[in-house]
Amino acid sequence: MSEVLLHAEGIDKNFGITHAIDHITLDFYKGEIHALIGENGSGKSTFTSCLTGIYQKDSGTFTLNGRQINAHNQVDGNYQGVAIVVQELGTLSGLTVAENIFLGKEDEFTKHGVKNSRAMNAKAQELLNSYGFDYIKATDPIDKYNFEDRKLIEIVKATHFKPQVLVVDETTTALGEKGRKELFRVMHSIRDDGRCVIFISHDLEEVLEQADNISVLRDGELIDTVASKDVTADDLKKLMVGREMNGKYYRTDYGESVPDEVVLKGENLSVPGEFEGLNIELHKGEILGIGGLSECGMHEVGKALFGASFDRKGTVTLEDGTQINDITTAISHSIAYASKDRDNESLVLNDTIEDNICLPSLEDLKKNHILHAKDMRSFATKYAEQMSTKMEGVTQFVSALSGGNKQKVVLARWIGKDSDIVILDSPTRGIDVKVKADIYQMMDDMRRSGKSILMISEEIAELMGMADRILIMKDGRVNGEFRRNPDIKDTDLIARMV
Amino acid sequence: MSGLKKFKQSQWYGVVILLLLVVLFWAVFKILAPQTFGDLNRMSTYLKSALIYAVGGCGLYFICVMGPFDFSIGANIVLSSVLAVTMSQHFGYVGLVVAPILSGTLVGLINGIVYIKLHISSLIVTSGLALIYEALSVFATNGKEAILSMDYRAFGDYPANLILALIAYLICAFILKYTKIGTYTYAIGSNEVVAKNMGVNVNKYKIVAFTLCGFFVGLQSILTISYGTSMTSASNMSSMSRNFTPLMGTFFGLAFKNYGHPVLAIVIGEFIIQLMFNGFVALGAPTTVQNIVTGIALLAIVTLTTKPVKGAVVK
Amino acid sequence: MAEKKKETNIPIYQKPWFTTAMPIIAFVFICVLFAILTQGRLFAGGNIKLLLSQSYMLLIASTGVFMVMSMGGLDFSQGSMLGVCSVVICFLSKYNIVLAVLGGVAAGGCIGFLNGWFNVKRKITSFIVTICMMYLFRGVVAYATTKSPVYGAADITKYNNIQFTLTYTVIILLVAFLIFQYTGLGSRLKAIGAGETAARYAGIRVDRTKILVYVAAGCITGLAAFINSVKVGSVTSTAGNQLETQIMIALVLGGMPVNGGAKVRFYNIILGVMTYKILTAGLVMLGISTQMQQLLLGIIFLVEVAIFSDRKTGMIVK
Repeated sequence: MSEVLLHAEGIDKNFGITHAIDHITLDFYKGEIHALIGENGSGKSTFTSCLTGIYQKDSGTFTLNGRQINAHNQVDGNYQGVAIVVQELGTLSGLTVAENIFLGKEDEFTKHGVKNSRAMNAKAQELLNSYGFDYIKATDPIDKYNFEDRKLIEIVKATHFKPQVLVVDETTTALGEKGRKELFRVMHSIRDDGRCVIFISHDLEEVLEQADNISVLRDGELIDTVASKDVTADDLKKLMVGREMNGKYYRTDYGESVPDEVVLKGENLSVPGEFEGLNIELHKGEILGIGGLSECGMHEVGKALFGASFDRKGTVTLEDGTQINDITTAISHSIAYASKDRDNESLVLNDTIEDNICLPSLEDLKKNHILHAKDMRSFATKYAEQMSTKMEGVTQFVSALSGGNKQKVVLARWIGKDSDIVILDSPTRGIDVKVKADIYQMMDDMRRSGKSILMISEEIAELMGMADRILIMKDGRVNGEFRRNPDIKDTDLIARMV
Repeated sequence: MSGLKKFKQSQWYGVVILLLLVVLFWAVFKILAPQTFGDLNRMSTYLKSALIYAVGGCGLYFICVMGPFDFSIGANIVLSSVLAVTMSQHFGYVGLVVAPILSGTLVGLINGIVYIKLHISSLIVTSGLALIYEALSVFATNGKEAILSMDYRAFGDYPANLILALIAYLICAFILKYTKIGTYTYAIGSNEVVAKNMGVNVNKYKIVAFTLCGFFVGLQSILTISYGTSMTSASNMSSMSRNFTPLMGTFFGLAFKNYGHPVLAIVIGEFIIQLMFNGFVALGAPTTVQNIVTGIALLAIVTLTTKPVKGAVVK
Repeated sequence: MAEKKKETNIPIYQKPWFTTAMPIIAFVFICVLFAILTQGRLFAGGNIKLLLSQSYMLLIASTGVFMVMSMGGLDFSQGSMLGVCSVVICFLSKYNIVLAVLGGVAAGGCIGFLNGWFNVKRKITSFIVTICMMYLFRGVVAYATTKSPVYGAADITKYNNIQFTLTYTVIILLVAFLIFQYTGLGSRLKAIGAGETAARYAGIRVDRTKILVYVAAGCITGLAAFINSVKVGSVTSTAGNQLETQIMIALVLGGMPVNGGAKVRFYNIILGVMTYKILTAGLVMLGISTQMQQLLLGIIFLVEVAIFSDRKTGMIVK
């Protein structure tokens, strides 16, 4: 193998209490395309963001060609030899193509404080032409171009100065056939030049086709690095998901029958850009799991059933024929919803635990149309304690709690409301093992007492361990259904997702 | 690409629309009030006021593109104008020009620094600071009316006012196009987080924008005091009303920034506003109608140029 | 660990006990200070009465803005709204006094509805909407009073006695307090202010609540306009001028965070208005020049805003 170009040593990054990447040590060689793969939240993007200056790492070092580098922002990274094409749109509207390409580098064209726009435009056009994108005009406002062209401009922006390491973060999903071809051409030329490309993608076929070596991340840890010629897509999937075998905190029962009674029915549901033509039935006393990749539209399903989606088409009906079209109706008809986006959608962060627990139940707490503060206090205390929330008291602000305790407050709210239909989106996301076990126990108790749970989850083990039925979604459609069975294999589920 | 489509994407599309609006408003009021509106003489008077407000509008543009606001520019104008009068008594034209530019710029700088340091909505910060600037303007005049001496009123009429205003517009256009500041202003306005990742010192350029705004407001003060020849100090936020006419020009600039040149849009926009003001007055409405026109026009511009996004949190 | 560290990093002026105690301490301090400086004159019977009579309008009008600000909005149209309502009240008082009050309330409610509609349905920042409205209705008031002030019924000032105005104000404040505290409205408004999206997911009808609060704020201003009308007996073009600024300063002095949210307390209104009134009355009594008063007010305002604002790290502030 050729020489090491970039050496990452013990890179570590925390976001609050989430340990995003855990002391990753990894080598990148000259003349390779090195893919990083892993589930959502496995830390791929965080790792490359630390390298290129979007985030600042907590500890560890990057050594490029024997010199330690430490980028404070993207442009700073560019000057040190690393560049990135980001997942989302990285160009700024309102600026011209040329201004976008040279953003942060205006000084190269500035003399005595005056920016030589003509030189900048000429240089930008020259670069565009050299990449074969002559139809893009450097002087045009970037808003004129569609998403794909803007990505191409970003590629020019990230590569024109011949960076030693180029990170391509999940760019291909946004590109069509033409764009992909151009991107791969650029990537190959960097490899052939003896430099290195770090390639992040969900498309395993594409990864196998393009990359020389593949590193797999899971929960912020490096699992393995393999040569792509030695592995198949199935091998990679196994490495990515890695079933937690010690599933002792999941349900242990199998073969219990689920009542036929349907408590919630969604017919012909569609939300533009998310999912289409979905029919779903939730039975009394069952846990229905929905799984899939993060972008498959499943997270919007929960919102749609809760009446929270905008522009939803189709109907959501309860057993008694009530139609659910808005959140307030949903809640008053005993539907609960815990969002994946806990901090923005589930909890009013800058408010007390008490208010957060009481909010949906304010009307129920009234005595003779009067709401007493002490009733709110005792209600909140009762359910927060029932969930064994770690807190100083119910007047504490939710923002000061850890992820697990925040989720407990969310659940306390809905247990207090005594909802019969509970929609949980990623209920154990970012939560430690102990609280996880509590939550699973609670779900099982609820199921036994005849409540119905819809659990949307990105964790396959959780789906298999908890759900009576599992629906797998792909690209906005249901792509498979499984019944609770100890013999289901995680690979069967994964095969339906990707 | 068809000719019309090509034209729609060119810089002149917006300008042509604005000019058509000018003709439309002129024609409507001319028909309704043929005697009292819109002859050449009067049009040049309308333009005179429009030129003044457009200078402040240019300054405000830097801030509004980024997202914040400055509601102290009225107080800034009052303060800078009375200082201009005082200094012109000592240093003649030099004092008249230099004093307001300095004080205006300084006020802008203070606005920017306080806004960044306190990390609070710029509306609130600048409203609070406006109280202080107003008080300072009273100190500067001892509560008396500041009257500009007959000898120093050249900037109140053609051609000097036109020249100064044109210089201001050119500076604005130049900064937007030929300096980093212009690029960064748009970059921050487009997406602050991405801009920050690209190494743009967001806080610094926000302060720069506030300072530039102050500078242009200083220039506007020269024109304002020269045209109006006197200025009374303000109190109890009465200077607030001076914010709106420049702000409307800025909104025109923002609305047309992708279809034409913002500076041109600001100037023509201000001219349209003046046509409307004077048109109503020509119809016999009392001057108080100006307030109503301003309120409705501003609301209409904002309503037409913002797209309501479902679920967006708007305070 | 990380949370412990955060705790110690909070500067003293942002600790909860400090932000709660601060406005109360400031109030007491100002009372004592001016009592000493004016050698007790400020709190002599006549002056107290005068002070109160000047406070009614501000107290009532602040109540509406208080609710708007609790949800994180701003309402700068109060002054002009008060003017318009006063015009309506004075005009109708010639027919029937009850009709006049109802008319004033309705006028305020309509303007409030416009505020709410533009803010909620067109998603325009409340500051911009209300400031446009302020301008617009200032023009309307000026137009209505172009030739001469609008006079009320000849006997309208008979209501201007302490028994009536005090009772009137206390009843309004009491009703507002009871609604705010004992119907869950307060909790809902604070939740909207602290996190609108989460409030929606907790089942609060955010859009409807917002519009209703703007309407209510308008109606309350209509009630305040009645006090204004009976005090003056007529309306001039300057009626209610700069009322919005006074309200804003008063609420901030009372410890109200400008961006609303969970730390809002109903007593902010009364504490704030009284602090503001005693502060200004005291400064006047000491013979301090108006410009100096304003300068001090501006500085105090900014300092208090800085103290009481909620700031999240990484939050983009426009």
